[in-house]
Amino acid sequence: MNNSPSRTPGPTGPRRAPILAAHALSKSYGATEALRGASVELTAGEILALTGASGSGKSTLLHCMAGIVEPDAGAVTYEGRRLDGLPEHARTLLRRTDFGVVFQFGQLIPELTARDNVALPLLLAGVRRQAAEQRADACLERFGVRGQAASRPGELSGGQAQRVAMARALVTEPKVIFADEPTGALDSLASEQVLTALVHTAREAGTAVLVVTHDAQVAAYADREVQLRDGALVPEPAAATATARVAGDEH
Amino acid sequence: MSTEAPTALAPPGPARVLLTDARLATDLLRGAGRREWWRLGLVAFGAFLATCFALAAGTVAAIPDGHPVRYTNGLLNGSGVRPGLVLALVLLLVPVLAFVGQATRIGAVHRERRFAALRLAGATTRQVRTVAALEAGVTCLFGSFAGLVGFLAARAVADSVQRGRSTPVLPTDIPVFWPGFILVTLAVPLLATATGALALRRVAISPLGVFRRTRPPRNLGLYGLVALLLVLGSALAFVGSKPGLLMAAAVPALAAGAVILIGAGAVSAAGASARFLGNRLVGRAQSPALLIAAGRLQADPWAGARVHATVILVTVVGVGFTGIRRIILDEVNTRQYAASDTGFYESGFAAVGLTVLVALAVAVLGLAVGTAESLITRRRALAAQFAAGVPRSVLRRALLLETALPLAPAVLLAGLGGLLIYGAYTAPFGSELPLLQPLLVPVVVYAACLLAAAASLPLLGRALRPAELRHE
Repeated sequence: MNNSPSRTPGPTGPRRAPILAAHALSKSYGATEALRGASVELTAGEILALTGASGSGKSTLLHCMAGIVEPDAGAVTYEGRRLDGLPEHARTLLRRTDFGVVFQFGQLIPELTARDNVALPLLLAGVRRQAAEQRADACLERFGVRGQAASRPGELSGGQAQRVAMARALVTEPKVIFADEPTGALDSLASEQVLTALVHTAREAGTAVLVVTHDAQVAAYADREVQLRDGALVPEPAAATATARVAGDEH
Repeated sequence: MSTEAPTALAPPGPARVLLTDARLATDLLRGAGRREWWRLGLVAFGAFLATCFALAAGTVAAIPDGHPVRYTNGLLNGSGVRPGLVLALVLLLVPVLAFVGQATRIGAVHRERRFAALRLAGATTRQVRTVAALEAGVTCLFGSFAGLVGFLAARAVADSVQRGRSTPVLPTDIPVFWPGFILVTLAVPLLATATGALALRRVAISPLGVFRRTRPPRNLGLYGLVALLLVLGSALAFVGSKPGLLMAAAVPALAAGAVILIGAGAVSAAGASARFLGNRLVGRAQSPALLIAAGRLQADPWAGARVHATVILVTVVGVGFTGIRRIILDEVNTRQYAASDTGFYESGFAAVGLTVLVALAVAVLGLAVGTAESLITRRRALAAQFAAGVPRSVLRRALLLETALPLAPAVLLAGLGGLLIYGAYTAPFGSELPLLQPLLVPVVVYAACLLAAAASLPLLGRALRPAELRHE
């Protein structure tokens, strides 16, 4: 990962206290065990890549850490507070203010313009329309899609839509961004543009990013990479070997 | 960007939340796509019909006993038969409500994805429900307001046409009771809003999607039964306190009870018949079209149950009505009643017959909407089948079979039910029962349903386009 496009400005020095931590999380969907005692920590401003094969439990871990899904066992702590025991309403308010979430696709509301989509979390939080739109425009500018502010999602390219989604995730100036395969539906050029914009903005704002991906190129943007296999974290040396093998296979 | 920002986003007060929700609902309506407009238009049309029927029922109910004006239709003149006419108009709301229910399902997948996106953006479950309920309420308000305007306009036209006639056709001389009219116009959207909110209580809306709760809330059946007993007890106490009302209320109450029971039975029968046929045919089907249709019935036997239930209800009523009409008119003609009596029966049956036809038209329209909705929802799967080599003609036949197969036994049973009512009612006459006309009703209903399903076939062509394969 030394050739990571964004390696330089990551957090340095002794490891700080985590802003978000998952401890021994387990989650099953019927008979399928998605997570089996997975633990992972994220420090403020860190970009962490969560990798693994399809069905390894990456997305479930992200959903649990974002408070979207409740784990069956284990704990999620955010700024020292238990997140997993909070009622649904409190978790929603936390996602509105402190977290931003980006999925592969389908997260923008087709009836609203790009500007309205980005302004939506602010409006839901009670910010006045004009102020919300101004902040949305500034955020769209940051992601290079200010010109598309009046367009609806159906009129945007995949890369533009994903940049609008990122602008929406960052408009409330969250402390943590959760990105689940954010470039999974994009070509390599659009993928690079989206990731560069995300990393640049996150670095500038000191936002921690947890990115789920199965793509080694995407993981290369992260400060650190952890790998999941069958719902559990792969120990670091094994993960490094696995990454090297994947890289070797690709060559 | 500062890292201190989240503290600035404190939860807003209730008034601001409601204002935001209303604004959001308006924005969503403004930005709605073509499919959404179809849904909204059909829901508004349903509200329009419901308002018109309710206002018509209210107008008939407002004719006072001993009213000096005589109308050409005898059903409007007799204080004993008017409640029956009012009930018939109120019962027209049953197919209309089923139609609205079907229309709201258009684009359900798309709407659920939008709900999830709203949750992902930070909306609470309550906010999403409020937005959805407001959307339904505003749509129905447009429809009910159009219904009020349309009803008043039609009333004014009818009044000018029949002015000066000694025996008018319609009761346009009855003054408009504005509080009642406004109440009906507002009640329709309020009811839609409440129904929309209640329907969403059964689903969990998360940022990942919308999930149906499979287990109903505990004790709901018990609470429902207690509420029903309370309502029935109060109604009986009220009716019992006024002896004159007892008989007048008994027949409409019995009829309404029978319709509710038959309706509930019809939904179960339609679903059960679809499941039974699907299970039986899926392993025995010799043709690809039959296999696809049977597989679909087996996978989702309740998909068409609601619409089919309305068709079954109309068939039961239609068969019973046609038979009873034939017997009574024969009786009247044979015994050579006075011309005024013959006119009373003929005009009365014409009015009820028209009501049955309107109910059939609304039910068939609901079926067409349901078939189209099913096609839109499944367009990606259909496009994939077509791309994999399934001929268009096979898919077309499968689509028709999906309607034809479960409806055949359901309509047959409904026809038998109608014949039973007809037989029980006409038993005292002791004469031979004419069967041709009543038996034609299920055939006509079945043919109308197949035509309605066939009307959605042009949509199949669009659903099979390769571009649909890229649809999420």
